Amino acid sequence: MLWDPWLLITIAIGLFMAWAIGANDAANSMSTAVGAGAITPRQAVIIAGVLEFTGAYFFGKTVTETIRKGIIDPSKINDPNVLIYGSVAALLGATLWLLIATHYGLPVSTTHSIIGGIVGYGIVYAGLSVVNWSKMVQVILSWILSPIAGAIMAFIVFKAVTKTVLQSKDPIKSAKQWSPFWIGLAFVVIGTMFYIKVLHGKSLPAGILKYGIPAGILAFLVSFALLQIRFPKVNPYLGAEAIFRRVQVITSGYVALAHGANDVANAVGPVAAVYTIATMGLAGAKVPVPKWILALGGLGIALGVLTYGYKVMETVGKKITELTNTRGFSIDFSAATVVLVASWLGMPISTTHTVVGAVIGVGLARGIKAINKDIVRDIIISWFVTVPVAAIISAVIFKALMLVG
Amino acid sequence: MQVWTKLFAKSPFKPLIKHAEVVVQAVETLEKALESWSKGDYEAMRRYAVEVDRLEDIADTIKKELRDSITSKLLMPVQRSDILEYLHMQDKIADAAEDTAKWLLVKTNPNVPEDIRDLILKMGKESIKAAKLVFEAIRQMDIVVESGFSEREIEREYELIREIEDVENKIDGLDTKLMRLVFENEDRLSWGDGLYILNIARTLSNISDKAKDAAERIRIMMNK
Repeated sequence: MLWDPWLLITIAIGLFMAWAIGANDAANSMSTAVGAGAITPRQAVIIAGVLEFTGAYFFGKTVTETIRKGIIDPSKINDPNVLIYGSVAALLGATLWLLIATHYGLPVSTTHSIIGGIVGYGIVYAGLSVVNWSKMVQVILSWILSPIAGAIMAFIVFKAVTKTVLQSKDPIKSAKQWSPFWIGLAFVVIGTMFYIKVLHGKSLPAGILKYGIPAGILAFLVSFALLQIRFPKVNPYLGAEAIFRRVQVITSGYVALAHGANDVANAVGPVAAVYTIATMGLAGAKVPVPKWILALGGLGIALGVLTYGYKVMETVGKKITELTNTRGFSIDFSAATVVLVASWLGMPISTTHTVVGAVIGVGLARGIKAINKDIVRDIIISWFVTVPVAAIISAVIFKALMLVG
Repeated sequence: MQVWTKLFAKSPFKPLIKHAEVVVQAVETLEKALESWSKGDYEAMRRYAVEVDRLEDIADTIKKELRDSITSKLLMPVQRSDILEYLHMQDKIADAAEDTAKWLLVKTNPNVPEDIRDLILKMGKESIKAAKLVFEAIRQMDIVVESGFSEREIEREYELIREIEDVENKIDGLDTKLMRLVFENEDRLSWGDGLYILNIARTLSNISDKAKDAAERIRIMMNK
């Protein structure tokens, strides 16, 4: 039954969730480029909106796990109704928490929000034993590991970039030589990430060989050639910044694409689950996601970017003057590398958390002129409350639905 | 997400440079006041002296705002205490300029011999040099941070600091010379004129003293 009322409700909430994802994360992908003045907020919104939709629609996962990342045991939930109510409760719990976090300007993980939502209704229905606690420990570990790994990596990368590009005797000459190297390296990571995150490939070596290395070499050659022809002959620092400014637009665009491809699952996963039940009457651990649901998710994310992202990025563009392009590059590059290596090692890592860690890392390397420690504290607290808060909201909604239904 | 606007606090260096700019203006205006004074144009001198007072007020306001914003909740590439101490010294330069302006205003038709007059003018010129160098030094500090503490930029900063120390040395010499000159001329000067001249000399050399103190702080900022 396509016109099942519960399906319609789930779709509506799923759209809402997608909108919240777009609103919450949109500026994350573009913020470093906007903050460093590489593009205007208006351009950023359009680029991000298009790429997020492209990522979600063309590269979103067409099969998704209902019980995200095996956080609760699906064999304990057999009743299709429970799964429907649960999906609605989990989506609402995650969405409401995302809205609260966005309101306070805190970058939280959308994946963790939906995990919280699922855990919340799971516990109410089947008790604490339904939760796969070893998976949960991994999630908790990621709160600690991601920012620390991000900070260490960004510290090293920023130091290396400044040593090679900014601090040499002849910055213009070394910028010409070293920038293509750094850009090439960044594109090895991006190419590999494209294979794993966007195309959902499994093998890291294959990703590096087929996508990473070619992308890296191409980027190296192109940037090397371009720099030989025309190098911005201003002061050496501005010149180096100008090189990295252009690179940043591409890396930010990639982040938006990958974000769409990956995070759309958080919004449409539960929708797809309800759709499967409504059309086939059964609940499985893995459900196929129809293309039109992916399109809806992508649309929701793009809408979130366009309606809320614009306002947010406008402020970002005007207020962040302290983030230069080499620093933005160091942050993007480090976060991407950490996420890549971590997913290869099978460690649970959150991109959001890694980026914040990377910002702090560059700050600790005496790079960024001032970081607000209070906000850092607030952000870290928000990570720890994401799962419990989303779980509690979801549990309450689930309980209410069970009573009514 | 709005967090990016909050996570990155405003850099303290831009307002520090702004403050230094006002300080330079104050010292420049003082020099104009001294010129008018040496020409005997007391009317113009008065106007300039009042302007110095006004600029010092502006510097004070910026200083207060900066102090409120550089709180311990910021993570910065240099020590917070060093920045605050530096700001204090930079502000003292404007204070010293204001002190000189005040001394200029307290006495009408002073009797100041030609050679003393010239020496005071010379001290005024050197003071401007000191204040301008401090302005250069704090701008250079911003570049030092920008370059990720590059050795080359740190070396340039050291050069500026050495220049400031040279100017201070030079003014010290002029100051001593002036004091000697006052006592050599003690028969021609009233005790009031002497007090007046010596205080102008003292406050003028204070300008470069504070400039040197500020430069010292910048040196400390760069040490890891």
